[in-house]
Amino acid sequence: MHIAEGYLPPAHAAAWAVASAPFVVHGVRALTREVRSNPESTLLLGASGAFTFVLSALKIPSVTGSCSHPTGTGLGAILFRPPIMAVLGTITLLFQALLLAHGGLTTLGANVFSMAVVGPWAGFGTYWLLRRSGASLMVAVFFGAFVADLSTYCVTSVQLALAFPDPGSGIPGALAKFGSIFALTQIPLAVSEGLLTVLVMRLLTQSSKAELLRLGVLSKLTGKGGSKGAEAGAAGEEKETVTR
Amino acid sequence: MLPIDAAAHGSRWRRRHPGEKAVLGFGLTLCAVALPAWPGAALVGTATLAVLLGPAGVAPRLLWRAFRVPLGFCVTGAAPLLFQVGGAGGLVSPAPDGPLHAGELLLRTSAASLGVLLFAFTTPVSDVLPRLVRAGVPAPVVDVALVMYRIGFLLLDTVARVRQAQHARLGQASRAAAWRSLAGLGATAFVRAFDRAARLQDGLAGRGYDGTLRVLVPRAEVSRRFLAATAGLLAVLVVLTYALRGLLT
Repeated sequence: MHIAEGYLPPAHAAAWAVASAPFVVHGVRALTREVRSNPESTLLLGASGAFTFVLSALKIPSVTGSCSHPTGTGLGAILFRPPIMAVLGTITLLFQALLLAHGGLTTLGANVFSMAVVGPWAGFGTYWLLRRSGASLMVAVFFGAFVADLSTYCVTSVQLALAFPDPGSGIPGALAKFGSIFALTQIPLAVSEGLLTVLVMRLLTQSSKAELLRLGVLSKLTGKGGSKGAEAGAAGEEKETVTR
Repeated sequence: MLPIDAAAHGSRWRRRHPGEKAVLGFGLTLCAVALPAWPGAALVGTATLAVLLGPAGVAPRLLWRAFRVPLGFCVTGAAPLLFQVGGAGGLVSPAPDGPLHAGELLLRTSAASLGVLLFAFTTPVSDVLPRLVRAGVPAPVVDVALVMYRIGFLLLDTVARVRQAQHARLGQASRAAAWRSLAGLGATAFVRAFDRAARLQDGLAGRGYDGTLRVLVPRAEVSRRFLAATAGLLAVLVVLTYALRGLLT
């Protein structure tokens, strides 16, 4: 769920914009360097961003019976790395605000912080740690996507609690209030997004090996720069991919 | 194309400079957020609605379809303010002044959303992006955003058609089938996105692509009269808000 336009008081909106700015600027620098040294990557990055935009428009069934949208931040961070995701996520959030009326411009900083900064970094960190500790690709992908989704909503709960402290119990009470509302829907959705991301990654390892190699996802599988455990687990995946 | 962007391409204000519309739309949004919710946000919301349906010529049905999305978020977001956790009333009890705070939040978010919709319904994103370079956004970022914008629509169209084909082949007949279909949909979107990018790359390489995407931007002059009217409207809203607030309290 994006924080809606006008929902945050002006000081909070400005503070979150300042908090996300260094990450976005870092991402912009990384993207600019990449594009200047390799001009054709503009199209690849544009395609990656478009994929992220479309991914966030897919409806996933929830365990509670309703359906919702995946954040797409976990898969995006695993495929394109968090700094690039900070930029692609910001552009995606801007498009969502202007083209779909989801989120907003005054709340863009807060939404960027939760969805394009914390979500991708937490998801990628989990994925990276699991791969380093020898977990299989799909286990790492599941937990990466799960943590990315859940951390996004945890940060959103904190943002809302800080903006609207509970009259009785202050910020902790508000955090419990917003957190429990999100927990009802978001824990099942985070599981759903994790499962969906595993299924998508499984299909991608079969059908888009070249792209995954170019993005560096499968290079880890072949052992370049990965831990021994990751190499061992990955070698199996690589073999499986090749034999198929 | 998405409904808001399609409406923006056919808007009565399509040929106006995006800067003018940004000053008006975002100015109204800022007023909605910064002024006291009562009566400020109510006044801003009413004025924005009048501009949307009047001079900007946005169709009421289209506006409602777009507005009900943020309205749903606003209502959901305002509901928790009605309750408090802990205190003398028990674990969960009605918050003192809860309805007042929820109502004010609803007014503020609704008015602010209308301000952004005013800009979105009158300004296609394709008019805004190339001009961002002049505003200081690095050209590579703008180029990536332009490609995202162009490929995004094609991908959305592809996803809609794949989903239709999956439906026709009983791809949603059971929960397991629905999950398989959804995963296929995500993977297809990825493959198609990279395929499109590769084809676009080939096409541009044949036309001497040097790393910058040059696009034609419709020429538009900034109207001083429009800007003056915008400043006047915003000033009237601010003055009226504080005058009415003085009278009401």
